[in-house]
Amino acid sequence: MAIKPEEALRLIAGARGDAICVPTMTTSPAWRTLAPDDLSVTCIGFMGGASALGLGLALARPDRRVIVLDGDGSLLMQLGSLATIAGARPRNLVHVVFKNGVYHTSGSQEIPGGLAVDFVMMARAAGYRDGWSLGDLDDLRRRLPSILAAEGPVLVELRTTLAAETPVTARGGAPFHEQAEALRTRLRGA
Amino acid sequence: MPESIPASLIVDALKDTFREARAAFAAEGAPPSRHGHLGWVLSVPDTHQRTVLTALDKERAIRTLTCATEDEAVTIAAGLYLGAEPAVVMIQHAGLYASVNTLRGVALDGRLPVFYLVGLLSRERDRDPRASRHSMVRYCEPLLDVFGVPHARLEGPDDLGLIPEYHRLSRERRGPAVVLVGLETA
Repeated sequence: MAIKPEEALRLIAGARGDAICVPTMTTSPAWRTLAPDDLSVTCIGFMGGASALGLGLALARPDRRVIVLDGDGSLLMQLGSLATIAGARPRNLVHVVFKNGVYHTSGSQEIPGGLAVDFVMMARAAGYRDGWSLGDLDDLRRRLPSILAAEGPVLVELRTTLAAETPVTARGGAPFHEQAEALRTRLRGA
Repeated sequence: MPESIPASLIVDALKDTFREARAAFAAEGAPPSRHGHLGWVLSVPDTHQRTVLTALDKERAIRTLTCATEDEAVTIAAGLYLGAEPAVVMIQHAGLYASVNTLRGVALDGRLPVFYLVGLLSRERDRDPRASRHSMVRYCEPLLDVFGVPHARLEGPDDLGLIPEYHRLSRERRGPAVVLVGLETA
């Protein structure tokens, strides 16, 4: 089974409360429609950096939950961040990996290891407190409240279909520096 | 001639730097920090600055986070800045080369202040770094020049003021700034 990424993102957008969100790659076009606010900052132009950006935010603001909406190919680019995050032990970090097995944006070339890569096992082995692999939307709906309330760092691997849009087919949205400044301003006042 | 700088003096300079940065964040209206320490060092351990890292291990006023890569160190520093937490990235020249895309994407295009302390491992005492026999040393300043990154050399205790100065510069310019640690720290 596999979840449509837009449906998963819709659930997360509805449950996130005041969490800071860090989408990247194919989660970004849908996210800017579903959550057009300034408590999100999209990792654009430095593929693989979403987890580290989320970690910095989580460490700076332990009073807020931080949700990283990562991709499987993106995470592989900075896989060591699993160990760095585990070592820093941010209690407020939820790391969601959208796993479709390909680099969708560049034409759906298979990622190294394809769908066989087990991000939950790797996160647990790195020292994350917990991890789950989900491929059913109802299951995600049922478990999302407890996942978002769990003591972090935790990782959720979502087995998904391809997104309807990629950053190439749906260009637009504010550039990274504008999103970053909007988030900084928002956090300054909160 | 460059001199080796005692680690304790660099740690003191880092504390002063973080105090100043916190005051600047407060003046901009940032809420009080949720942390008891002054600031963060994001490190990918640098042989050249190992005495500083050893001193930081015992230092409660500064939290050191060891990162797997320099890309992470830079990006974590950016996230900390967005949450009004001051940080310093402490790496060596090879790590700067390894993380050039993050320098560009996060600090330059993202217009986010990231301050680096970069160790010039193998820098010769009697030779200008740009004329070094070692490519890792020789290419460092030209690389920073290509990207328009302001940089300065820490050549002795009299230069310690460069650390708060270039941290301030990174905040004012909203971008990267680098202090190169000329000789191995003492």
